[in-house]
Amino acid sequence: MFISDCRREFYDVIVSQRVLLLVASDVDALCACKILQALFQCDHVQYTLVPVSGWQELETAFLEHKDQFKYFVLINCGANVDLLEILQPEEDTFFFVCDSHRPINVVNVYNDTQIKLLVKQDDDLDVPAYDDIFRDEEDEEEDSECDSDGSEPSEKRRRFEEGVIERTMKRRQRREWEARRREIIFDYEQYEYHGTSVIFMLLTGQCVIFRKHFCVLVIKYKNTQEESEVTNLFLRMKYVTDIGILQRHVSRHNHRNEDEENSLSIDCMRIAFEYDLRLALYQHWSLYESLCNTSYTSASLKLWSVQGQKRLQEFLADMGLPLKQVKQKFNSMDMSLKENLREMIEESANKFGMKDLRVQTFSIHFGFKNKFSASDIVYATASLMENIEKEGPETTNFIKALDSLSRGNLDKLHQGLDLAKKQLRAIQQTVASCICTNLVISQGPFLYCSLMEGTPDVKLFSKPVSLCLLSKYLLKSFVCSTKNKRCKLLPLIMAAPMDVEQGTVIMVGIPPETESSDKKNFFGRAFEKAADSTNSRTLHNHFDMSIIELKTEDRSKFLDALISLLS
Amino acid sequence: LFQGDLGPFNPGLPVEVPVWLAINLKQRQKCRLIPPEWMDVEKLEEIRDQERKEDTFTPMPSPYYMELTKLLLNYASDNIPKADEIRTLVKDTWDTRIAKLRLSADSFVRRQEAHAKLDNLTLMEINTTGTFLTQALDRMYKLRTNLQPGEGAHSQDF
Repeated sequence: MFISDCRREFYDVIVSQRVLLLVASDVDALCACKILQALFQCDHVQYTLVPVSGWQELETAFLEHKDQFKYFVLINCGANVDLLEILQPEEDTFFFVCDSHRPINVVNVYNDTQIKLLVKQDDDLDVPAYDDIFRDEEDEEEDSECDSDGSEPSEKRRRFEEGVIERTMKRRQRREWEARRREIIFDYEQYEYHGTSVIFMLLTGQCVIFRKHFCVLVIKYKNTQEESEVTNLFLRMKYVTDIGILQRHVSRHNHRNEDEENSLSIDCMRIAFEYDLRLALYQHWSLYESLCNTSYTSASLKLWSVQGQKRLQEFLADMGLPLKQVKQKFNSMDMSLKENLREMIEESANKFGMKDLRVQTFSIHFGFKNKFSASDIVYATASLMENIEKEGPETTNFIKALDSLSRGNLDKLHQGLDLAKKQLRAIQQTVASCICTNLVISQGPFLYCSLMEGTPDVKLFSKPVSLCLLSKYLLKSFVCSTKNKRCKLLPLIMAAPMDVEQGTVIMVGIPPETESSDKKNFFGRAFEKAADSTNSRTLHNHFDMSIIELKTEDRSKFLDALISLLS
Repeated sequence: LFQGDLGPFNPGLPVEVPVWLAINLKQRQKCRLIPPEWMDVEKLEEIRDQERKEDTFTPMPSPYYMELTKLLLNYASDNIPKADEIRTLVKDTWDTRIAKLRLSADSFVRRQEAHAKLDNLTLMEINTTGTFLTQALDRMYKLRTNLQPGEGAHSQDF
């Protein structure tokens, strides 16, 4: 059931209860969780936080805690499956689901009592109508009544015949109806995509509740929108409109006491909404490195080839930036260069075919030293969450990333930034080697690339989000490098070794790189079907259906099945 | 546990509450703090200049000026206009007063006075120098009494 009034139907209900927060392991959910935590702390709500990274963990967490809690809040997980069937809850447990995965399972939509969805309803949800999918069970009873009646043989026989005819008619109708229903559901569930991000939902909901939000909360606003840019999950149009809404909230937060005489202390958090460059982490790195390691610039300039390197040098020369300046840390560049940087880069970028280098984004600064843009924080938290150096139980990474979002823990944020730099460099090198050695093969209906075990940094890519990022960058670069027009429109499947001892491989499918903002992904269903038909040992554990784990031996037959399925 | 009643709280109207409650409500983002009257740039500048001119201690606007400044500037600096300047001014005043305190403690010890009288000191300043001063004077007393020879060579226990 959709919730229309966020405050009354969601917040006021849980404010007096103990709540269990089940949070998925991605940046969107992390930031949304931080927002909720801040709200709970302000209002003294007792809660328990359980980060989950897949369906199995969700189920175990639910089983462990179902005796103690009646109210569960699921953040960025659970909308696309039938929750009641999977979790089998009691009658009086309530689930509040705030999830950006679409399509929302029809049972979740039409359940009036136990499942409440915090979702913006003017999304293009296309939920099929109730009557098309659910049918009352009265028809069954009518059939059985016909059978039990019966008096005289001839009449009975006639009635029996009529009964038979009626029943067959009904059965046929029912079969047709079911077939249509299956079709509707298949169409509905075929494509996966993402609706409004979770944070946006929470924030716009919560903005009705609270007038002012502070530092922690507002960082999250920006983060989600940046994530959308960074990982290209959301539709472009939506991004623009959503950002407009957020910007209004932000300006309300900023203009509290600001006028000429009463300027705010420098330590206060200021959020600026401005045009900024689309270069990853450029303020915490050197400009040169950032240009090399951002997918947009590296793909447009084709930096994996010698020609590309030359073009980069030309690009820098065109802007008039000396190489020595460009290669040192951004903060130590000359002030005169830094001030005019944006305009210079934009002009030159237009000449080199990179029209989208400027993007509107939020950035935050407090104190004299700390200036972060939203995408920086996204990269940092994402790499903290997927840090392969394991220290302690599974959830420490999540908690560490959560900590890094508070203002007092800047050292963790800096650690995250360093990890992000390593990750970006690894991605760029892998992309370059894949393209130079032609590892991306066209299999017909899709492109396929598989990372070998000995590839450097391959351990980094055993995590889903890093692998997704790698595949997106790879696809972008591939599209820029290939001359084959048909290949440019194909989606990509990427495989990387996950666990060497157990012999598993993690496989990710991403939609093709198109100009239009339609990022619908059909690999979820396709993977399921292929796995069924070949009896491969797969694990569809992730909340994103297009990421699966697979045994290495089953890989080739799985791929063959996919090819035949999709062609 | 102590208890009492506070209020009435009407939205939009300022109300006086104890500092601890104000900070708590501010941290929960339920209120806006209004700084005390003396927390103002011109007034603090006057106080600072006055302090620098005089040799003795001048009266402070509030016996808890340092604590209040610290608390308010840490938790509510967005409600206080020109917070940075206020921080600097209060710190200047504090430094001047502590310097005077050190000077007077020094001359007290040097001249081996028996008692001294200091006006207009706040509790925070007293506690800052208090422990050190009393312990140091204790030691010096012990050292002095042990300067006298005789009565055996007792080992000194501190």
